[in-house]
Amino acid sequence: MLCDPGSKAGRRYLYRLIPMSVVYVAVVYLSKWSFRHFHPTGLVVYLLAILPALPMVGSLAIVGLYVAEETDEFERSILVRSILWGLAAALAISSIWGTLEDFAQAPHLSSFLSYLSFWIVMAISGVIIRLRYR
Amino acid sequence: MKNRLRILRAERSWSQADLAQRLEVSRQSVNAIETGKFDPSLPLAFKLARLFNTSIETIFSDEE
Repeated sequence: MLCDPGSKAGRRYLYRLIPMSVVYVAVVYLSKWSFRHFHPTGLVVYLLAILPALPMVGSLAIVGLYVAEETDEFERSILVRSILWGLAAALAISSIWGTLEDFAQAPHLSSFLSYLSFWIVMAISGVIIRLRYR
Repeated sequence: MKNRLRILRAERSWSQADLAQRLEVSRQSVNAIETGKFDPSLPLAFKLARLFNTSIETIFSDEE
């Protein structure tokens, strides 16, 4: 668990993140469905394409709110360290893959994967950091 | 940083959860501080000192 669900800030974090995840899934399907059925053109393409990114950015803001609102400094320190690991991994992976694409003709990967790697590494490092204090 | 939290807690028959509730932190936080794995901030150290009605130096020492 990335947050302390027992704290007020932790509960607020979950109450915000869970609906945001539902919105994300809904918006992804809505965008895909719209592209498949309406074949939009012009500005609508950009609007529909950017729509799934909005809940993703929102979820980052929710993490930021949790850091700001968590009064338990120990829980906050675990989350902040997890975020740093997640950011470092996302930057490292995108940098390494970027140079592989530029110089070794590696296949192109979506930059969306940086966001995904951030969350995966943040979650894993959160568990590992927490285990150190057992 | 060494501390006497476990002793002070035992004198009052408080569990880690009891102390955590009084400090408004998680039980894991109390455990991390008690085992010397996490050093509390000055405000939290003052809160602990007030709770045990003693000074910060009585609870914590900077010996490794």
